[in-house]
Amino acid sequence: MAFLAPLLLLSLAALAVPVLVHLIHRERDQIIQFPSLMFLERVPYRSMRRQKIRNWPLFLLRCAAFILLVLAFARPFFTSATAVAGALGGGREVVVLLDQSYSMGYGDRWARAQAAALREIDALGPDDGATLILFARNAEAGARSSIDHASVRSAIDRAEVGVEVTRFGPALKLAEGILEVSEVADREAILISDFQKNGWAGNEGIAFAEGVVLRPISVAEPDTSNLSVASVSFEREPFSAGEQVTASARLVNLSTSNATRVPVTLELDGREVATRSVDVEATGTATVAFEPFIVGEDQRRGTVRIGDDLLLRDNAFHFTLSPGQLVTVLIVEADTPNPDSSLYLERALAIGSTPSFVTEVMAVSDLTADALVGRSVVILNDTAPPAGAVGDALTAFVENGGGVLAILGERVRWSSGAPALLPGSFTTAVDRIGSRGRVLGYVDYSHPVFDVFNAPRSGDLSSARFFQYRPFTVTDPESVLARFDDGQVALAGHDLGRGRVLAWASTLDSYWNDLALKPVYLPFVHQLAKHLAGYVDPTDWHTTAQILDVASLYASSGYRLEPERDDPVAVSPTGDRLPIRVREAAVLFELADQGFYEMHTPGADVDVPLAVAVNTDRSESDLTMLDPEELAGAITGRAGAGAPGNLVARERSPEETEGRQGLWRYLLVVALLLLAAETVLSNLMPRVART
Amino acid sequence: MSSHEHPLTPGASFVDPKVLARIGNLELLARTIVDGFINGIHKASYLGVSVDFAEHRGYMPGDDIRRIDWQLYARTDRYYVKEFEADSNANFSAILDVSKSMAFSSGGLTKLDYAKYLAASLAYFANRQRDRVGLVTFDSQILERVPSSAKHLDVVLHTIDRAVAGRPGQLRDPLFRMTEFFKRRGILAIISDFYEEPDVIIDAVKRFRAQGHDVMVFHILDPAELEFPYDSASSFEDLETGVRMPIVPDNLRDQYKQLIEEHTSTLAKRFTEYQVDYAVFNTSTPLDYGLFKFLSARERMIRLR
Repeated sequence: MAFLAPLLLLSLAALAVPVLVHLIHRERDQIIQFPSLMFLERVPYRSMRRQKIRNWPLFLLRCAAFILLVLAFARPFFTSATAVAGALGGGREVVVLLDQSYSMGYGDRWARAQAAALREIDALGPDDGATLILFARNAEAGARSSIDHASVRSAIDRAEVGVEVTRFGPALKLAEGILEVSEVADREAILISDFQKNGWAGNEGIAFAEGVVLRPISVAEPDTSNLSVASVSFEREPFSAGEQVTASARLVNLSTSNATRVPVTLELDGREVATRSVDVEATGTATVAFEPFIVGEDQRRGTVRIGDDLLLRDNAFHFTLSPGQLVTVLIVEADTPNPDSSLYLERALAIGSTPSFVTEVMAVSDLTADALVGRSVVILNDTAPPAGAVGDALTAFVENGGGVLAILGERVRWSSGAPALLPGSFTTAVDRIGSRGRVLGYVDYSHPVFDVFNAPRSGDLSSARFFQYRPFTVTDPESVLARFDDGQVALAGHDLGRGRVLAWASTLDSYWNDLALKPVYLPFVHQLAKHLAGYVDPTDWHTTAQILDVASLYASSGYRLEPERDDPVAVSPTGDRLPIRVREAAVLFELADQGFYEMHTPGADVDVPLAVAVNTDRSESDLTMLDPEELAGAITGRAGAGAPGNLVARERSPEETEGRQGLWRYLLVVALLLLAAETVLSNLMPRVART
Repeated sequence: MSSHEHPLTPGASFVDPKVLARIGNLELLARTIVDGFINGIHKASYLGVSVDFAEHRGYMPGDDIRRIDWQLYARTDRYYVKEFEADSNANFSAILDVSKSMAFSSGGLTKLDYAKYLAASLAYFANRQRDRVGLVTFDSQILERVPSSAKHLDVVLHTIDRAVAGRPGQLRDPLFRMTEFFKRRGILAIISDFYEEPDVIIDAVKRFRAQGHDVMVFHILDPAELEFPYDSASSFEDLETGVRMPIVPDNLRDQYKQLIEEHTSTLAKRFTEYQVDYAVFNTSTPLDYGLFKFLSARERMIRLR
């Protein structure tokens, strides 16, 4: 038992006042001198003794009421939770939120966080409900409102630091929900974390109900230092049959002291191939470039590693390098094309390494079904489509996953015997020369073709002027990807079988428009080709907690995954074999650990192993912390009472404890009841007896 | 004036003790009280020189020849001597209790003041009757003693005036000691509040009677001692012993009054047995009224005796 205002207890000394008045003042002022007590002494003494005894109940009532009033104003509180539960006869609802993001692996933070959590559980009374929420990016709660504190302790003991980043929002939302449904008056959430600034967006729509307390316990140190490998970039150049790759690692020093002679090591396929030493200034970055290495037909695994510091998770950066994928493009021209009608296309596709395009130009009359084999994309450049068997072969090519771009120039005739590939129909060309041509007025930036132009200054598609085009009528309005400013369709597309078909209502040379002369021409053509080829940029690394589309992964390696048949399995960095979930058309897999995952297809005729590099989210490397009290204030709507920058586990302040227990209310009520009883009792007693 | 409390005697006016308190001169005060009284304190106990003729007797050798009645010798040729009523040859002594309890007052005069006025009045009265007046003051011891003398009125009054209540009192020992002083029969006026057991008081007083003294006992009490008018619970302190006692007056007033009543009635009864004149004087009562009443009763009693 303690008191918030213990000095008020001194007023208990006032209790002596009535007694002293009774004993001294009365003795002094009420003394009557009498000649002799000879006769008074003969009067039986019992009358006075009985009188005094009658006064005792009133005297005791008044004293008790006064003592209770003083105690109430002294703001008492129990320091022991067990005592509180015993005194108030009610349990508490406590939610312990334990941060297990990988920054908690810094130094001994995790051990201190576990100890703090265990202390909180140990401090609970037998009737208190406890819930443990382990959180990082997401939050997970164990048994809710459990009075089995041993199991909660066990869960805390078993918990480990994860690989994910800190996000306070989901955890606090979960805690809010748990405490909201609790019928207990005394509800509290205890947030044990290192309170990284990156974990709190500021306004996440969480507001604890009135009376719910959020008590932050910080395990962060006042001074931290951390050096991390933020990223690795690659410069690829064709070399012989493969590529020559130069890897550059970017190091970030997130401390206030310089890091000198930091050893940086490059490992390839588990073998150390190069080591560099580098100095990184305080709060600065440094880039380390390694000697080039060759990536041939096989995928290579690499790791850039620096020396150990207090936070280990960001000291290694894993990556995989796959051989470059080729996109083969067949440009089919009219038998008598315009001069240089495919020149711009060829030149544009000749540039680029991710992917590299291999182009071949062929007259439509020379096109055969065999010519389609091994092609990714066929561009019908201002020519009528092939008819007959070749036409059927072209249709089959599309349905089997190929891509066709139909450029609807002046020579295009789409006869009835031609394959029905187009998403609509077109009419004769419209001449807009007199009105200075048209521009693209609408572009569907959500489509993969135009996705790269979405960001500001990523290419002005409206800079090109179109003087002639063919009005195109689509069968499905959803298939329109771009329109001219007069509303006519410029680009339309649809999927056919597993392949894709695009129809461009103008030309991709310089006859009907000046698009080929604009800077956006090259990326536009590349995007068209990549989309039609179903090309997916290979990803050199992923981050933890990312959901991986295994089908796309295999597709980027040129292998079409058949989920039913191939039965893919992943081997985690820790060696666990994990079956990969198949959800409808997508084959999804969550990357939970840092390191290399190996994908296998044991069900296929030939196992196609693929490695996936997974790194932790480097935003967690920044250990800058926010003010725990500020966070608590934002959640509860009440200003925190703790000192800013409080970096040690903070016990609940006496003010908070007293405010939560509110014992003074009970004492005040009892005191008032005693006073009421005193009033009744004194009125019932005869006047003489009260004297 | 408390005349409304006492039936007025026709022709008499009584002086309120509070008025007496404003008179500084005891002789003047005594005269104020005594003037107007007709009767004396006593009748003469001896024959002696006086203006009042008593009888003739035959001359005996040794008689003063100046007392021979020569006119009667001329008629009878025998020697006769004249004898007169000896009114002025009695000894009167006031025995005044000046113990601490006599200093009590509930508002007006203290009991000692009242007793002083009474003693002074009696002394003055006696002196006017040409008695020899004396005084003894005592508490637990004899403090002052003025032997009886016809010329000692001034000394007596002065001694009375100087008397101060200071120490606890006791009745038996001082009175026993006084029996040695009063060899010759006289009139003794014992003035006290008599806080002793009746047996002790009677035992002390009856010795004077055995010596042949005419004893008057004046029991001086404050009205508060008679009525016990207190109402709030208080500590009562004994004036003499200093002992304090918490008292709830409401509870014991009746018992107290009964006890004091028993005490005075016992004293009255026992004194009567020894032919001692006893009177309770309430200090709120006019002194002349009380004195008049007492002397009137005493005169009646003397006739009976």
